[in-house]
Amino acid sequence: MTNTASVSGSLEPDVTARPARSEPRKRRYRRGQLFGLAMLAPTLIFVSVFFFAPIILTAVTAFTNMTSATGITGGAYLITPTVVRELQQQGFAPALVQALEQQVIHVDDATLAAAREAGVAENFLADIAANLSGRQFASERDFERELKQFQSRPRRIRDLKLAIEPFTESILNQRFGNRADATAAVYSVAPDVTPAELDTVLKNSYTGWVWTTENFAKLSADKESLRVFLNTVFYVSTTLAFNVLVALFMALALFYLPPTTGSVFSALWLLPRITPVVLYAVMWKWFTWDNGFIANLAGYLGLPSFNYMKGSVPTAWTIVILVNGFVGASLGMILFSGALRAIPRQQLWASEVDGASRLQQVRCIILPQLRWPIMFVTCYQALSLVGSYEQIWLTTNGGPGRTTTVWSLEAFRTALLNYSGNLQYGMGAAMALVLVAGGLVVSIFFLRLFRFNDLVEKPRIEL
Amino acid sequence: MAILHKPVVAFGAVLLGAAAVNAMAEDYTITVWAGGTNQTSHYRVDAIVMAAELLEREASVLGEDLNITVESQVWSGWDDFKQAVTLAAESDTLPNIIVSGHEDIGPWSQAGAIRPIEDYVDFDAWPLNQLYDNLIDVASYNGQIWGIPQDAESRVFFFSKPKLKAIGYSDAQINNLSERVRSGDYDLYDMLDDVKKMQDEGVVEAGMGFAPRPTNGPDYWQFYQSFGGEMVDADSGKLVFDEQAMTDMYQFFVDAVDMGVVPRTYLGLEWDDWHRNVAAGNYGAWHGGTWHYSQWTASFGLTDFFDNVSYSLIPAGNKAGHANAITHPLVYLLSSSGSDDDAAIAAELIAIASEPRINSLHAVESGHLAIGADQVTVPLYANDYWTSEATEKLLPYANAIPNNADFGIYWDAMFQGLEAAWTGASSVEQAVSAARNEVTSALGSGVIVR
Repeated sequence: MTNTASVSGSLEPDVTARPARSEPRKRRYRRGQLFGLAMLAPTLIFVSVFFFAPIILTAVTAFTNMTSATGITGGAYLITPTVVRELQQQGFAPALVQALEQQVIHVDDATLAAAREAGVAENFLADIAANLSGRQFASERDFERELKQFQSRPRRIRDLKLAIEPFTESILNQRFGNRADATAAVYSVAPDVTPAELDTVLKNSYTGWVWTTENFAKLSADKESLRVFLNTVFYVSTTLAFNVLVALFMALALFYLPPTTGSVFSALWLLPRITPVVLYAVMWKWFTWDNGFIANLAGYLGLPSFNYMKGSVPTAWTIVILVNGFVGASLGMILFSGALRAIPRQQLWASEVDGASRLQQVRCIILPQLRWPIMFVTCYQALSLVGSYEQIWLTTNGGPGRTTTVWSLEAFRTALLNYSGNLQYGMGAAMALVLVAGGLVVSIFFLRLFRFNDLVEKPRIEL
Repeated sequence: MAILHKPVVAFGAVLLGAAAVNAMAEDYTITVWAGGTNQTSHYRVDAIVMAAELLEREASVLGEDLNITVESQVWSGWDDFKQAVTLAAESDTLPNIIVSGHEDIGPWSQAGAIRPIEDYVDFDAWPLNQLYDNLIDVASYNGQIWGIPQDAESRVFFFSKPKLKAIGYSDAQINNLSERVRSGDYDLYDMLDDVKKMQDEGVVEAGMGFAPRPTNGPDYWQFYQSFGGEMVDADSGKLVFDEQAMTDMYQFFVDAVDMGVVPRTYLGLEWDDWHRNVAAGNYGAWHGGTWHYSQWTASFGLTDFFDNVSYSLIPAGNKAGHANAITHPLVYLLSSSGSDDDAAIAAELIAIASEPRINSLHAVESGHLAIGADQVTVPLYANDYWTSEATEKLLPYANAIPNNADFGIYWDAMFQGLEAAWTGASSVEQAVSAARNEVTSALGSGVIVR
């Protein structure tokens, strides 16, 4: 220690003076860091709660068999006649099966005491004890009919039913909130049950969800998955091409138009973007439906007049692509228009002096400088399209049949909305997880395609 | 000691005590959610409002001060409604009373979202003791009665009388058609031949000969039964996937498409378009429900139904099957949300709402059928020609889809396969195979494949 101190002291003679000067700087640095974190905190919380948490929950749910029948928050143990029948079919001993399903109502000192403890009125208990002591009943309905004969019976039927419960010996159709209670219940009616049998009983009677990888196995084995996947690829690629190309065309057209005319067209082109999605979809329905504008126009022109939204697969796809395409194209047009204004006009003037046509200007001057916005729009729109289903849901609803059903719509229906009310949260989450993975692949593809690293590279010279 | 008692909650004692001390004011707010409810079926909720007023009056007669506020929310469709109920169950914000299809009893009882109503009402007392036993069975699952039937109906096959006449049917033949259907003498392929003839002779437009239900629904199980399919095995209680019946059923709709009497892109047609075409007499044959009668006559301008429409069971598809109908009763269910006391009041309201006179208001206005034996003696119901006809000629042959927690998975797979075959996305064999694989991989030994 001593040596080291002396060496450092000899090399840096003023080191002892340094802490006094550097301490405030470190404090300032730390304070700056804390201030930065404080400023970022709302964003971090927001991103964690609304971005990471849903993704993590989706990933977790994807590995479960959660449905509307199992619930989300956890299950109970419920031995039902269906469970008993399953156990019987699995070869359980008849005595054990009988113990699990038997329901007996006793009237004796013990059950009378239990009823008293539960708060059943004394005069009613006195009538029960006097008239039914020592008797057994095979069903609650029979016992209830006997009790109804007493003047002292509770007037409300619910109170009468509650009074019956202390006399009932059965674990059938009882919900036990945890495994320990369910185990105790099974032992109470079947003390000789083996651990293996008990485990099977509890497994069969559990109503909640369990961990599983079957969702992914089913998705990979199901041919319908492939069909929906191909639908999605077709939908995303065609709509994306429409979005970007039309947006680019519109932005260029408006760029060369006189400013006033350009502004009017620009404002009109924004209508699909600013119209509420439901209203937008309803307008498309009116436009394409039976007796709608297109059907009438087609009839007038001698063309087939039918429901163009759902009447045929090609027209349904066309409508789906147009409905989504116009929304995306209006956003792209705004971004491209902004980027076009950033191009130095001198370059265009110089090219005109050199005799360049408009097409040559676009090809050689404008497009190379629009690489970044084109990449952004393409990437953003592709990811939006992969996950979007609202317009399809509200227009063709995936039809006719399931021909325009895309992956995100199918995931939504599976997890959250279908006619039979059979909501499969686990399977829907697995589909959503596949969608997230697909989105990542698409993102990486576009970043590589547009050489994202080159675009964000630091300038090689100081300006 | 092998005795286990159901948990008796502390407020049970309070309730029992409260029965004796009856002078205290009691205020309840009972919420009701109903799916599939339109302007002709508002009594699903209004009956509960009427019941609340009656219960308050009964309490008043006994010297009690009972105040019940009924709050309600209705949905016209089923998808949104079932989503709302399922998500409300997860957040414990369910209404006290849910009006839904009986098939929801399976999953919702497993999830603990509903309480067995038999714990709250007296099935030995009027009006519940006069409810039809088969409807009580439909509202039961795992040995417990979970709901009270809110209505009953029958699914019906309809023919256009003018179109039949135009292809040579006499009045007597038209009148005898429902009997031919019932006996199996006239089957689904006879129907396809007739509607094809209507199209060929220009009586109906191309593709308008046959108009099945345009969306998913229990109706399509009728066609499965028409070809001999069974939904559930009576002995084991397991679901049944009958490959031959499913194949024949899919093939029937593919044949209908190939004959040009129904479009390949038909599924997904808007309900309003379908109703308008029915009311305008544009279809040759179609199928729907008894309640559609009231929609066509009340909302779509059909004024001379009996002069224009002939009705029957769903015809048999082949010799393996039989003419049939499915009844799909809605049921009043008690949710597990709220206190036991709230549930007791809600259950009493449901029982009162099931009284024949009150239920007849709903039955007649909405075209539904009686839920109990006494209802057919209520003049309003007995004098209604359509409900009487449907009660006598259709309901006795109707069965119901099974209450089974897994039936929804089977149902989705069946309809997905049908869509795939119908639209030509898959061959019939591929569609049946995909549906079978879907069902067996999801349900394992819970389904029997025949």
